[in-house]
Amino acid sequence: MDIPTSFSIITLAALVHASFQLSVSVLTLLSGHAIGSKKSHNNVLKLTASFLAGSALMIVLLLSFSALVFDRLFDGKASELAWITACGLLIGVAVAIWLFYYRREKGTILWIPRGMARYLTKRTKSTKMNAEAFGLGLTSVTGEILFLVAPLVISALTLIQLPASWQLAGLILYTAVSMLSLFVVWVLVGSGHTLSSIQKWRENNKGFLQFSAGAGLLILVFFVYVNEIIGNTTVGGF
Amino acid sequence: MSLAVDIIKHGGKRPSEKFMPEKLRRSIIAACLSVKTPEGQAEMLANSVLQSVNEWLQQRPEVTSSDLRIIAVRHLREQHPEAAYIYEQHRITI
Repeated sequence: MDIPTSFSIITLAALVHASFQLSVSVLTLLSGHAIGSKKSHNNVLKLTASFLAGSALMIVLLLSFSALVFDRLFDGKASELAWITACGLLIGVAVAIWLFYYRREKGTILWIPRGMARYLTKRTKSTKMNAEAFGLGLTSVTGEILFLVAPLVISALTLIQLPASWQLAGLILYTAVSMLSLFVVWVLVGSGHTLSSIQKWRENNKGFLQFSAGAGLLILVFFVYVNEIIGNTTVGGF
Repeated sequence: MSLAVDIIKHGGKRPSEKFMPEKLRRSIIAACLSVKTPEGQAEMLANSVLQSVNEWLQQRPEVTSSDLRIIAVRHLREQHPEAAYIYEQHRITI
């Protein structure tokens, strides 16, 4: 697989990651609590920036760990069976997203274990210091691991096939693109948009977000299948 | 004056607690402040909602926390729909 194709796969996977909403929900709640508890604008920005830093670090850790495991397993070149399994996983997660991602209730309640949701809500309310917000950022990413596993696995399999110097670029690209939605909310909060307008947009467009995440994964499957399975088979056939 | 009303917590799993007007007041103020309502107005709104909730509670020895929330949202919405929205969304965001 050439470098532009690998980067396209990583970008598309990261965009799907960016459309997942748990961290955005936690960030919205955290901003609400911080503003509601009369923190200065600067302190709200610092707190939410720490949350973003925590999320980014967890994404880097998860992706680099997955890549390391796959690198050890496949010695730098994933087998066709691994790609087929990953494609199957993506299809499963895409269907699960279409069916379950949001609960059929008012608001933006996600299909994550209720215990986890209650814990995150409680922790968000108690978060007062930047270090706590950083930890909350780390936790919010792991809270959605059931869905994140799909874009992470594909990106990790793609990363291990890149030359070493490009692997770091791929890791940075994935992290930057997957953080886009959080960054946009952070900028909106920082530029004075009300939380109600952000949350209303999220609630009104949750069906679209759910559809686009699932559809994005299916497009990714198609792209990977054509490049890694059909492409290799054809080349091998000649 | 505080009313002797029992609040049954969501799902009935946690033990019920006495109605704490200050807790409700603080949460309404926080919701108002989070949509950039001036502090004085937020306190006025919270007092007004609290008064309406107190009246509603007069004849009720026990209510659920969800009912309490619904009534508070209803009264807050009449005066500040945006704050009511954020107050309502708090439990249904994640």
